[in-house]
Order: sequence, then structure tokens, then C-alpha cells
Amino acid sequence: MEHEMLDCKAVMRQLWDYLDGELTPERVEAVAAHLSLCQRCFPQYEFQRAFRAAIAAAQQTRPTPAGLRERVLTALLQAGLRHVS
Amino acid sequence: MADFLLTAEEDARFRAEALPLLDDLGHYARWLTKDEDQAADLVQETYLRAFRGWRGFRAEASCRPWLLAICRNTYLRVRSREQRVVAVEDDELDALAGEASVMVGDLSGGSDPFGMPDLGDAVAAALDRLPAAFRDAVILVDLKDVAYADAAEILDVPIGTLRSRLFRGRRQLQEDLLAFATDAGLRPAGDLTPPRQRGDDDGA
Repeated sequence: MEHEMLDCKAVMRQLWDYLDGELTPERVEAVAAHLSLCQRCFPQYEFQRAFRAAIAAAQQTRPTPAGLRERVLTALLQAGLRHVS
Repeated sequence: MADFLLTAEEDARFRAEALPLLDDLGHYARWLTKDEDQAADLVQETYLRAFRGWRGFRAEASCRPWLLAICRNTYLRVRSREQRVVAVEDDELDALAGEASVMVGDLSGGSDPFGMPDLGDAVAAALDRLPAAFRDAVILVDLKDVAYADAAEILDVPIGTLRSRLFRGRRQLQEDLLAFATDAGLRPAGDLTPPRQRGDDDGA
């Protein structure tokens, strides 16, 4: 099956949708095909991908504070959640 | 003894679907409140509201965006925080998106411009500096990995508005982080000058 041919502007407009998994499979294929061949767009894809990865990696990975789960469960039980043995 | 709000089946579904998301919600609440105690209060209130509203929750729907929306709405109600107005029209922003990506891409000057140590604190500080509307979008999509449609529903905005806020928030974050890298001596200052102006080359 032939890819839809996209120009650089079209790819740049869809780059974040591509990185965020918001495109249809056909469009993903078309963007990927363009990126694999375009020396202008690929570095920009790499840049945005690195940025997204850096933001995701900067997530607070601290565990839930001790006692929060118990506190929430206690409140829910008081509100009517059933006890589970 | 408490009066049960839910049938045994509904109760079991709440336990199975909502409770496992407690860590996820706690994380989101910490981003919203920036305070452990307030985050804990927010998570508890979110679960109580969710529990009371569980019967009205559609069984076929995804629980996560629903809980995230309750969490955010509860936070907004409690804090009544001042929302900064996004003055630029969304259509205009959408049109800008592709062009600006080209420009920001030119700023990279390296294969992994964000591969630097201690970026977590810089990201958190840069997020704090974002206008609230942009930060909300970035946190949901980039940190909580929420789909555009769900994020738009959580924020109660059209999806075009979500996309525009997300784009502008990311762009501002990128500029902040690149400035941070330059200030920290991790990038030469000259890298911040785009080597190629927008529109110089439209071809592939």
C-alpha cells in the first residue's frame, strides 16, 4: 500500500500529534515515512521527542505518602464503602 | 453502621477500578497543589466525591479521566484560583504550530538537548512558571499521558483549545529549559541563535 505523500509543513503540523499517538495508523505511516527520508524534519522530530521524554522523566516518582491509602479507605468506609474481609 | 450507597456489585467495581488509581491521583494532586498535605486532602475529597457519584458513572466509560476531572474540579472549587486568560485565538495558534516547531527545532543544536542531569527540578520550576491554562494541558498530556480528547473533557475546553494550550505550554517549557541549560553551562549560548530563519527553506 502506498503512503500518502506529505510535505514538510504538513509533517511539522502533525508532529506533536504523531508523538502523542493521536494520529490514525495510516497517517502515522505517512509521517514516519517522511521522517525517515527528510533530513530537515528528522532532527526536529528528534528534538521534540527528546523534549517529551525529558518532561515525562521529570515526573515526580515519589511513592504515595505513607498513610494516604489508609486515610482514603477509612474515609470511604465511613462514607459507606463495604468492608472486605 | 453506614448506609451503603452502592450495591455489592457497584461497590466491588469501585474497588476494582477506582482504588488502584490512588497513586496516579496522588501524583496529579501533587502537581496541582504543590503541597503534600493539600494533595492528600484533595485525593481524599476526590475519592469521596467519586464514591458518591459512582452510581451515575457509566460502566463502559474509562474511570481514569473521570477521576482526574473530579480531582481537578475539586481543586478549582477549593482554591478558586485565578486563571490566566489565553488571549490569542486558537485558530491562530493552530496555524502557528507547525512554523514554530521548525523554529524551536532549529534551537536544538544537538541530538539530545534535554539529556542533562538534574532536569527534574528545572522542569518543575518551568512548569510553575507556565500560565495555569497551559500548565493544566501539559500536566495532563505530558505527565499523565492523557489522550487529547480526554484532557479536553477534563479541562472542559474544545479539543482545539487543548491543542493550542498544549503547544504553547510546550514551547514555553522548551525555551525555559534551553535557557536553563545555557545558564548552567550545559550548552553554549550561541546555540540559542537559530542558524536558519523560518521560511528559508520550505522544501524537503
